[in-house]
Amino acid sequence: MKPNLSKARIADGALHLVLIVWAVLVTLPLAWAVLSSLKTDAEIFASPWSLPAAPQWDNWARAWQEANIGRYLLNTLIVVGGALALVMLLGALTAYCLARYDFPGNRLVYHVLVAGMLFPVFLALVPLFFVVDQLGLLGTYHGLILVYAAYALPFTVFFLHAFFRGLPTATAEAAFIDGCSHTGVFFRVMLPMARPGMVSVGIFNFLGLWNQYLLPLVLNPDPDRYVLAQGLAALAVSQGYRSDFSGLFAGLIIAILPVLLAYILFQRQIRSGLTAGAVR
Amino acid sequence: MAGTAAVLSGCVTAGNDDPAEQATGAVTEDNPLGVPDGADLEVVMFDGGYGQEYTQHAVTLYEQRHPDAAVTHEGLQKVGEVLQPRFVSGEPPDVVDNTGAGRLDIAALAAAGQLTDLADLLDAPSLDDPAVKVRDLLLPGVVEDGTLDGTAYFLNYSYVVWGIWYSRSLFDQHGWTAPATWDDMLALCEEIKGAGIAPWTWQGKYPEYMMDPLQSLAAKAGGLDLVYAVDNLEPDAWKQDGVLAAADAIHRLVTGGHILAGSEGLSHTEAQNAWCSGEAAFIPCGSWIEGEQQGVTPEGFDMAMAPVPALSAADALPYGAVQGASSESFLVPAQALNPRGGLDYLRCLFSGEVARGFAESAKAMPVVKGATDGLDLTSGLASVAAALETAGENVFGYKYRTWYPELAVEVDTATGELLAGRADPEQWADRIQAAADAVAADDSIAKYER
Amino acid sequence: MRHGKYRFLIGALAPPLLLYGVFVVSPYAQAFYLALTDWDGLSAEAGLVGLANFADLWSDPLFLAALRNNGFMLIVVPTATIALALFFAACLTLGGGTRRRGRGVHGSGLYRILYFFPQLLSVAILGVLFQFVYTPGGLLDGLLGAVGLDGLQRSWLADPATALPAVTAVMIWSAVGFYVVLFTAAMESVPTDIVEAATLDGAGRFTVFRRITLPLVWDSVQVAYVYLGILALDGFALVQIMTVGPGGPDNATEVIGLTLYRSAFTYGEFGYASAMGVTLFFITLTLTALALRATKRERVELA
Repeated sequence: MKPNLSKARIADGALHLVLIVWAVLVTLPLAWAVLSSLKTDAEIFASPWSLPAAPQWDNWARAWQEANIGRYLLNTLIVVGGALALVMLLGALTAYCLARYDFPGNRLVYHVLVAGMLFPVFLALVPLFFVVDQLGLLGTYHGLILVYAAYALPFTVFFLHAFFRGLPTATAEAAFIDGCSHTGVFFRVMLPMARPGMVSVGIFNFLGLWNQYLLPLVLNPDPDRYVLAQGLAALAVSQGYRSDFSGLFAGLIIAILPVLLAYILFQRQIRSGLTAGAVR
Repeated sequence: MAGTAAVLSGCVTAGNDDPAEQATGAVTEDNPLGVPDGADLEVVMFDGGYGQEYTQHAVTLYEQRHPDAAVTHEGLQKVGEVLQPRFVSGEPPDVVDNTGAGRLDIAALAAAGQLTDLADLLDAPSLDDPAVKVRDLLLPGVVEDGTLDGTAYFLNYSYVVWGIWYSRSLFDQHGWTAPATWDDMLALCEEIKGAGIAPWTWQGKYPEYMMDPLQSLAAKAGGLDLVYAVDNLEPDAWKQDGVLAAADAIHRLVTGGHILAGSEGLSHTEAQNAWCSGEAAFIPCGSWIEGEQQGVTPEGFDMAMAPVPALSAADALPYGAVQGASSESFLVPAQALNPRGGLDYLRCLFSGEVARGFAESAKAMPVVKGATDGLDLTSGLASVAAALETAGENVFGYKYRTWYPELAVEVDTATGELLAGRADPEQWADRIQAAADAVAADDSIAKYER
Repeated sequence: MRHGKYRFLIGALAPPLLLYGVFVVSPYAQAFYLALTDWDGLSAEAGLVGLANFADLWSDPLFLAALRNNGFMLIVVPTATIALALFFAACLTLGGGTRRRGRGVHGSGLYRILYFFPQLLSVAILGVLFQFVYTPGGLLDGLLGAVGLDGLQRSWLADPATALPAVTAVMIWSAVGFYVVLFTAAMESVPTDIVEAATLDGAGRFTVFRRITLPLVWDSVQVAYVYLGILALDGFALVQIMTVGPGGPDNATEVIGLTLYRSAFTYGEFGYASAMGVTLFFITLTLTALALRATKRERVELA
């Protein structure tokens, strides 16, 4: 037994080592970005790892002001929040109908929806602009929300479809016998049962929409309504013309912070959501 | 799929055929372009290295002239993606500064009837002096640069000159002078290396930067005939003696080990910062570099531009010849709501007052005559002005990059390989010639000639 | 069946399908049509050219280079990401070994938080960040120097041999964390008594993983494969921000998205660009169908 145990111990040590190496690989670039955001441009170029002589908080202030991060953060929250709520409701309804009801055209609708995941978005950009423009939705919050929701729908349906299929039928049957309507069964029985799956796909969607860049670039031309990704891109591009690396890093960190904080605060819920979602 | 049919009827290519209502007001002495009263104006400009101060300045002038107009001014980096759908749908802004990596193809815009003829503006009295037309206020070549098939469709604002940049203080300290011939350059490189400094660095991620000195060497060797042969896609244009000799000259920087290690992987800002921090002595660039680097240039660096050295004593053009061109293209869309206002805005922009402000804030040469006179020029801008003065008539420029972007991509790729030491000058020329021949043979690409 | 079924279906499906039809299907349908034209992206008219755009694709060296590079990423990104993520997830859940049977190693909670970090960065941020990692004398060179591997230092993005792997590594780096969390979640749902029983029977950690855990998380792996495959066929934003050229050196990092973007927005060949997009669509469609079929068969064998 003894040699076995020490062998296991060596294996444990090796495992830990590998895990630590990856943890370092993952955190280093971020730590470095934080460090760089507090240095002057000259210090950044002198040596990547040196500490700043004096922390340049001014970089952060500059990025906050010039890049208008606060305003963009609010815009992003409005648009992503609205789109998320909409796509979750519509996606769940669609997935549920397609997974639990048999009707002519069911497979066709499912496949057309799922095919939407496979197409490069920027090809649709110009035609999409006309659609949005003709509906008078250009540069509005609700226009962007509708478009975001439409483009997040395929993945949501794809993910939840399998989930609804896997739910037991007995409860729904019982509800029907009790005289519950189709709508009632969905909202009162099936949706609560699907909650874990909803949380998982909600997280996927949140991250996807939060980082959406091409859609707002074309459909959201008003700088007052810019979302965070647009503001950051403007910062990164203008950096290319004006050499302000430290300001760029500060902007990056400011943009990462809210998501990072949200993740650390909610990581337990996110994980349990993913756990349940993964079982299916 | 409900809804599809209705939207498809408004398909992209159906376009918007009703002509924009040509809003014209009464033409008076004070309003020579006939801007209608109270018509709003929308200006969209490329927010790049020159900043927004000069276009804002022109907005202020315009607002003084038209107090009832609401003017919106917006700076963008991706002009193309944002404006392309607006052009196609017939709702473009009134003035566009179509510049930057994401700019729209002006020739295609003109061909699609999307641009206003600027003749009225050019013949209008200038803001500075009613006796002088706007046309006569501009540096030579500016109107030609903006003319396509005989019509002036756009006006460039900034005059850019390309050369080789160095720090005056560094060179004074070591007793070096900018070399006038390539042989001197190679000799100086050895000396610079001896001082523990890399002779050259360059913006390796964008090989276009090194193509400028290369094609300048070639132009000096072969003269304008060589330049035109290249632009006109003539057979074996890239295998002319002058072109090969120029490629060989640049290649010697590689074989001689004169380039800062790793330069081929540096972005423009990284390379320029390495140069500014004294890691390398020379860097090739256009005259915008001073403005671009103003935040990180050390005190007393005193940057200056020298013309690209002469290739040999048999050169067709003198040492002082420089590659120059105007850039920052301002245009007025044909389907704008207020095209007359757009023209009047450009009249404000191309005035002596705004141009002087541009030279000061953007540290670049405006195309308006005499705008830098009497100004206390910064070191780099002064060297550019002096170089232009010396060059006189000997300013040349290539057109293949704007005419045939497909070719330019291949030129850049090949130049990157040449500078990384993975291709020799013959392979470099073969590769580009093949691409040029392919463009020449492709009927779907519109051809130009000069 | 029960009454009111169709009324419910219409009421439930009409809004999402309308939304999808208007904002997704109709623009793409127009793109399919544009692929058959020579539209320049600016004029009001476009001439029909039939399938000429599609024929031209196969003699376009940039498109072919892009296909090759996307093919490379398609093989490497999902495989490496899933392998790494499964490995880390297994360590975190089963890694406790004999003493912590069926439970994770010490500190697995912290690892899970750390590993998820990269997922929070948008592609734009990733590109900018890794540009500095790979730049000569940058973070990577600094690290190599610190551990005495100076000989390996190079211009990572300027060398045709390393540029594509460098970009691919960024994709993997950013994706692994999410799948670690996803797979750990799936693995934790494997009942501990099964694992314990197997361990008591003398099964090693690897056997437990292969025989019990893997088959039970196969569904998640399948979803991951499709999702990562789509990611690997894109790569546009990273390449555009990070690479030499972009797309270089010597077309080593050209991807379909970049070729398409350049054709559309730089050359004004919108019809041709649309043809590329349509081709990409069919390639993705075929590969997804194949991948789902292949993984399905494997699932039956394992179960």
